[in-house]
Amino acid sequence: MEKLKKSLTSFLVPVLSVLLAFLIGAIIMVALGANPGKAMASLFKGAFGTTAAIGTTLNKATPLIFTALCACFAYKCGVYNLGGEGQFLFGATMGFVVVHCLKLTGIVGIIVCILVGAIAGGIWGMIPGILKITRGLNEMIISIMLNYVATLFMGVIYTSWIRDTNMPQTPAVDTSLMLSKVIPSMRFTWSFILAVVVGLVMYYCLYWTSSGFKLRAVGLNMTASRFNGFPVKRYILLSFIISGAIAGMGGAADLLGTQYRLINGYGNGYGFDGVAMALIGQLHPIATVIVAIFFAALRVGSTSMQVATGVPTSVSDIIQALVIVFSVAGLALTKLPEFEALRLRLFHKNAKEGK
Amino acid sequence: MSMDVISSIVLAAVRMAVPLLLIAMAELWSERAGMVNIGLEGLAAVGALAGFMLTFYTGNTWAGILAGAVAGILVNLIYAYATVSLCANHTVYGMAINLLAPALASFIYRVSFGTGGGLNQIELMKGVAIPVLKDIPFLGDLLFNQTPMVYLAFALVLFTNIYFRKTKSGLNFKSVGEHPKAAATLGINVIGIKYLSCVICGALAGIGGAYLTTCYSTTYTEGIVSGRGFIALAAVIFGRWNGTGVMGACLFFGLCDALQIRLQVSSLGVPYQFFQMIPYLATVVVLAIIGSKKAGPKANGLPYRKEER
Amino acid sequence: MEELMRMEHISKRFGNFYANKDVNLTVYRGEVLTLLGENGAGKSTLMNILIGLYQPTEGKIYLNGKEERIDSPGQAVKLGIGMVHQHFMLVEAQTVFDNIILGDKRSKGIFINRAARRKEILELSERYGLDVELDAKITEISVGAQQRVEILKALYHGAELLILDEPTAALTDIEVEGLFAIMNKLKSEGKSVIFISHKMREVLHISDRITILRAGEVITTVNCSETDGQKLANLMIGRELTKSQYEKKEVSGEPVVKLEDVRYNETNKHNGLAGVSMEIRPGEIVGIAGVDGNGQTQLAQLITGVIGPEKGHVHLAGSKVSTFDPFDFIESGVAHVPEDRNLQGLIGDMSIADNLVLKSTETDQFSHGKGLFLKKKDINSYAEELVQKYDIRCTSIDQAVRSLSGGNQQKVILAREIESEPDLLVVVHPTRGLDIGATRFVHDQMIAARERGVGILLISADFDEVLEMSDRILVIFEGQFMGEFSGKNPPIQEISLAMTGK
Repeated sequence: MEKLKKSLTSFLVPVLSVLLAFLIGAIIMVALGANPGKAMASLFKGAFGTTAAIGTTLNKATPLIFTALCACFAYKCGVYNLGGEGQFLFGATMGFVVVHCLKLTGIVGIIVCILVGAIAGGIWGMIPGILKITRGLNEMIISIMLNYVATLFMGVIYTSWIRDTNMPQTPAVDTSLMLSKVIPSMRFTWSFILAVVVGLVMYYCLYWTSSGFKLRAVGLNMTASRFNGFPVKRYILLSFIISGAIAGMGGAADLLGTQYRLINGYGNGYGFDGVAMALIGQLHPIATVIVAIFFAALRVGSTSMQVATGVPTSVSDIIQALVIVFSVAGLALTKLPEFEALRLRLFHKNAKEGK
Repeated sequence: MSMDVISSIVLAAVRMAVPLLLIAMAELWSERAGMVNIGLEGLAAVGALAGFMLTFYTGNTWAGILAGAVAGILVNLIYAYATVSLCANHTVYGMAINLLAPALASFIYRVSFGTGGGLNQIELMKGVAIPVLKDIPFLGDLLFNQTPMVYLAFALVLFTNIYFRKTKSGLNFKSVGEHPKAAATLGINVIGIKYLSCVICGALAGIGGAYLTTCYSTTYTEGIVSGRGFIALAAVIFGRWNGTGVMGACLFFGLCDALQIRLQVSSLGVPYQFFQMIPYLATVVVLAIIGSKKAGPKANGLPYRKEER
Repeated sequence: MEELMRMEHISKRFGNFYANKDVNLTVYRGEVLTLLGENGAGKSTLMNILIGLYQPTEGKIYLNGKEERIDSPGQAVKLGIGMVHQHFMLVEAQTVFDNIILGDKRSKGIFINRAARRKEILELSERYGLDVELDAKITEISVGAQQRVEILKALYHGAELLILDEPTAALTDIEVEGLFAIMNKLKSEGKSVIFISHKMREVLHISDRITILRAGEVITTVNCSETDGQKLANLMIGRELTKSQYEKKEVSGEPVVKLEDVRYNETNKHNGLAGVSMEIRPGEIVGIAGVDGNGQTQLAQLITGVIGPEKGHVHLAGSKVSTFDPFDFIESGVAHVPEDRNLQGLIGDMSIADNLVLKSTETDQFSHGKGLFLKKKDINSYAEELVQKYDIRCTSIDQAVRSLSGGNQQKVILAREIESEPDLLVVVHPTRGLDIGATRFVHDQMIAARERGVGILLISADFDEVLEMSDRILVIFEGQFMGEFSGKNPPIQEISLAMTGK
């Protein structure tokens, strides 16, 4: 009963936030002279209307799932990893460099690429972790700075070191490395399956193992965790490394799944988007995966919306941003004592009337 | 290196430092009241757009600067309400602002100017040369032949120092970030000061963004703030929450930026991105050296509730 | 005598609980009125009403005969009420001067006129013998000096009525003498003081009148010259100190824990240990009596491995401890009911069930493969069982512990720690903030654990509790033990004297 009530609140807040965000989105559409009903319909049709559309949505969701899970895992341990983008790109870059230079092909190449990506991402995530536990540094600033460094490093690769012809981009990975489609008629590839599997494994680790249990405890109350004998610093560092590894693996997987080459603008915004999705998903891995798919759908659908009704795609960016603005504020609201008192009063009143 | 080169690097450093300084001062005022705002990047983005648009339509850069301030304030009031009144986590809400504000800015830009199309440009704010002084060799151009915004930014540092050190209201303001309960027992309006700090922060960050479009780049592009909002956070830590210190930190980061541009031009062979990394790596290295334990306002980032129990 | 302040029929209700009920209190000019009462008697709530932090549910406040509404701390300051809180309200990073003039509304102008303010402050400081270093930072001065800053601050803001909340709790004897001199000076200058304390000797020494609070109500007000410590203690507690109902034991056997000349943060009288030796044997309760903040916190954290000693040794079950880590101590059979249950004992946002198995998720009972797969069904049925056994009042085991009452939270910790079948149980302030029923329950559980042969260290600021529970009593003062007493017919006078360092 208690569990149900709790999950009802935590379910209601994001749903209401989404509705509210769409309401404002609709108002904007009206202001732009579009028919919001038609626009929304084309948006949903564009995202889920055909099997091809669904496949595109899932592919679009894949990198977001990885960065969202990356943010989610770190938050679960009580630290802010805002470096998902850097870890994602560093993983993609190193994965690409290794398979390209060693000329690896086939299944071996795929496995090596993804492993290298995970390791590279883990290392990139470890840096702010180490600086936090040894020097007490603010992990947010460090991880953001490393985002820029990783982006620039990728730039070095595609503009100078492994450049393809005249374009500022690398050549594509070997065709034997490109991940195949899961269902031939649909566009999504095995990288999406990998993303979902990572989400499921993370759910299992966090909620069904002792280590995950302790990690969550550390995230919720570090002092009590120390008093109860948990190695707090080790968990913090570990959470940075694993969180970075998830993003890095995502970078490599997305590279082989849909991206194929390093190019200007790749990965831009994935990190912060991931943080937003993890927060809307209330740090639950499976909810986070669903939120990421929802966001991807908004993005894919907004293109059809623009074509069909002339409403610019950036309306969907605003809707996405409003969802996070409302849901975070809404969750804070439900934690206020005043709100709790109000809830009790209403609940009490209902109970009385029930009698 | 010749004097000319050094002079031009220093000149560039000051120019690069100014927007950063404005944004960092925004954070300084915010954190002095205990409000950690990592949404600066977003605030600066709306400021940049508002500054660009107003200047574009009115032809007056000052109108643009003012619009930047207003836009920054409006967006930051969302942050203020959520964190002060709803006690939402500062960091999380700052992130939300970082997502909302740029989305809003690029939406408004696209609606106003359409996608693609020609480049829309504005005329930058004119420099104001201070007579006589500008003719001092070497220093003249550097110090006395800049846009008024540059002078204002440095005047702001002076004002901040005087306000927090010499005035009664500055003392009250600071105490809210240090020990809000103590401030409250002396009848200081803690909630009011927290809101005020958010208004000031929004205005300054918005102006910092508007500076980018009205005094620096002639046009608005997405991602124009390019991490300045985050480097500003580091500058506040580096500058030890002190006006002069923050100014020093911003000049240092400005110098890194100026140097990297100069190096990009001069050294062929090495990929230019390595030079572009300099300001970001410098931030990491500087922070790692100074550490950040037990520094800054004591109640920084903590929620404040009136009656506990 | 001229009346300065009068509270009439003040009540304050939190939910269904009356923190204050129909309180009448009068303070005259130039007197020291003591508020005497146990923890939770409602002293703090009453004072928080007086300084405008809380609004009374009912009742009126008069100042100089005029009814006033004190709706904010600022209003209280304006009306000449100043309070020195037990935990000082000082901005540590700022100077003494800045702290004193903070929130100044008396002087005009935008800028701080340092010279003029300095002169005013120095005049005040001279008049009342409040010696302070104006340019020092708060962190650089002693606790006693910080207190003088607080008093000076209140006077600077125009206080006529000064509330001192347990001002001697953190002071050395010499500093206490200094404080009393200041209080006498305040009196002679016509200021009034409300003094909150439970140190009988001091109360009798400095007060003019004494008002006794118990369970939120005023019991009586007596003139200091017409009473003595025993009478006051009886009034405060509401009964003669009762003989313990639990049987006291004397045990022999290998000690489960032994401390040898342990030192930690020695120079700090309030947060350190200066050469402590003791042992606890299986099947006994060793009680530590003492005023809060004499090293109890450090003693508890040391015996549970949270901190390590700077000098001296700790032996657990006969072997010397080399690394101090709570994990190793837990493995060696040490259980801990910590001082701050929300901060240190519980993960507030986790469920009751989760908190009950917090330390044991790796055991075969609750998981397959040493923690690889949690047996949630087993965890839940175990939790249900403990909720029954320990009478934890909750709607469900999935409820977050944060939402439980203090007493039930304490039962969760107690259940977890006792069920871990420890050899040594360290309990700190186990019944703080608990009602009588819950207190009784906690005590019974401790006795039951003792009967099973658990060695128990009981640290409590509640003297009664220590007397009632302990088989042996050690008195701690400024990080040292002042003596050991048998729990059977303990010499109460002697122990209370030892608690004050004599």
